[in-house]
Amino acid sequence: MAMPLQEMVTSPDTDPIETPDAKQVAGRSPTQIALERLRHDKVAVVSAAIVVLFVALAILAPVITSLVGVELNAGDPSEDTDAFNFPVIGPPDNGFTWEAPLGLEPGTGDDLLAEWLYGARTSLEVASISTLLSTIIGVALGLVAGFSRGWLDRVISFVIDVFLSFPFLLGALAMAPILLNRFGGDPEALDKAQFFGIIFILTFFSWMGLARLIRGEVLSLREREFVQAARVIGVPTRTVLFKELLPNLIAPIVVSISLSVPAFVTAEAGLAYLGIGLTGRPSWGQTINQASGYFDEYALYLWAPVIGIMLLVIALNLLGDSVRDAFDPKTRR
Amino acid sequence: MIGYILRRLVSAVLVVIATSMIVFLLFTLGPSDPAQRLCSADRCTEERRALIHQSLGLDKPVVEQYLTWAKGVFVGRDVSYGPGFSVDCPAPCLGISYINKEPVFPTLMERFPATISIALGGFMYLIVGVIIGVLAARRRGTSTDRGLVASTLIISAIPYYLVALLAYLYLVLKWGIFSETSYVPLTEDPIGWAGALALPWLVLTVYFCVTYARFSRGSMIESLSEDYVRTARAMGVSESKVVAKHALRAAVVPVITIFGIDFATLLAGTVFTEAIFGINGIGRTALASITQGDLPIISATVLIGSVFIVIANLLVDIIYSFLDPRVRLS
Repeated sequence: MAMPLQEMVTSPDTDPIETPDAKQVAGRSPTQIALERLRHDKVAVVSAAIVVLFVALAILAPVITSLVGVELNAGDPSEDTDAFNFPVIGPPDNGFTWEAPLGLEPGTGDDLLAEWLYGARTSLEVASISTLLSTIIGVALGLVAGFSRGWLDRVISFVIDVFLSFPFLLGALAMAPILLNRFGGDPEALDKAQFFGIIFILTFFSWMGLARLIRGEVLSLREREFVQAARVIGVPTRTVLFKELLPNLIAPIVVSISLSVPAFVTAEAGLAYLGIGLTGRPSWGQTINQASGYFDEYALYLWAPVIGIMLLVIALNLLGDSVRDAFDPKTRR
Repeated sequence: MIGYILRRLVSAVLVVIATSMIVFLLFTLGPSDPAQRLCSADRCTEERRALIHQSLGLDKPVVEQYLTWAKGVFVGRDVSYGPGFSVDCPAPCLGISYINKEPVFPTLMERFPATISIALGGFMYLIVGVIIGVLAARRRGTSTDRGLVASTLIISAIPYYLVALLAYLYLVLKWGIFSETSYVPLTEDPIGWAGALALPWLVLTVYFCVTYARFSRGSMIESLSEDYVRTARAMGVSESKVVAKHALRAAVVPVITIFGIDFATLLAGTVFTEAIFGINGIGRTALASITQGDLPIISATVLIGSVFIVIANLLVDIIYSFLDPRVRLS
């Protein structure tokens, strides 16, 4: 992520000359400075550690479940639950057991640890794919709109306005019944359609903010000398866009990514809670919806996914805030 | 000024038209067949479904279907489900429910007061948030201020629906601090109305006011350092007057803009609020329609929701252009 040479020349104040131990003036890009500041930010380090832990749990979900000896959807209502539909082993009626560390699901007898781990997986999968796609769309449209100006800019800006007046929750409301109507008969196809549908809806209704931001940045950057110089010496437009402009947009892009991931985790679980998200695979929101009926007798059933979402989203948000501060030149110390 | 308002009005209408096209396309071209919904395979013959298909106009070109639908919004139309069965749908006609075969718009209008009542909480969190923000700005740097900034970070990082759900489960069901009452219209029983909405309002206010407290704190700190505030102080104007009359007036402008932009969040907040607290508003009706596959109700909800967002954005832009002359000129 090397910055263009021109940027180094125009902003010499990025060198930390004031620090006494910096005998030699070292050239550091704004990205390096931001990373350096993040390393010294305690909140950021702790949040990042929590996020890494969740990612590891999600990736290793199959390994962990087989190590503990639990399995997804392996419950047998006649064997694992009693006459009141409550699990025969583990909480809430019996003590802790390694056979089911988080207990079994009332009614079905499915293992809740496996469901929790795969729920984390679903959550992070949906959030990261949606973030990637919406970032690509936002950056591409923002670059094109800001650089082209004229009619193309006006068209893209209008499309941004249209999408901003159509929040994702309404989009999800619209999509859920269509998928259900179409794929209702085939659970496997429905699950696939819902998974890609959620990603589609989240992506479709979340690229606008970044596109607007990038467009504004490009509008001012394109008037700068290094862009004009590149165009004068005949650098092709594509190279100007990706080699000259894009490296200067790293800060807003990174900040946008770090704030979209928690928003998508929240959104995915929220939709699942409302019953218009994923229904075919484990999702924390779905577990919360089912568990809220048992919150009093079987608090662990509800609280395991609640704490999962809270911890992950708070860590991601605080990390995002730290990233924003680290990349913000105004807070430069 | 008038030119600016007209321009914004035209673009708002264009956005509404574009949104209605998207909604229409989604539901007509979307992978679902209304005829199948109206008359499932075990009750209907293939020919009968084809007849329904034809009389709904689904065999015609999409543009023609859209124009028929759009005309119905303004002058009303008859929706026909095959020979000998048609429903009169007066303007604004947003379709006929597949389930009870009644026009969708009046059904939704019945549910509307409940949704608006919840959204009233939005104004409360705005007011509470601004008050807290102003107080924090005046005590800038103290432990109260730092505590506020830290708590805003944490509270706004938790998803809203978790806060609402846990508040409902524990405060209502477990500890009984708030009684479990269902929504009654304001005109019937004002006390019952406020009683049923007390907890939803409280949760909305506590959750969302922290964001506005943070915004107004920042904006207030900025305006308190302006020259005219120093001048007012130098002239011997009392501190409370300086804060309330001079600084706040300038500080509140950007906060109100954010409130307008945030309208979509409030709308999403009411959907979750209705679902969690069991209030029969528009959002809950739409959610219930999903399991029944009642597409016209859902498409009408989506359309009405986006029209509201457009109107909110338009109002904010116009109010803003009155408050800040620079906007009009750009």
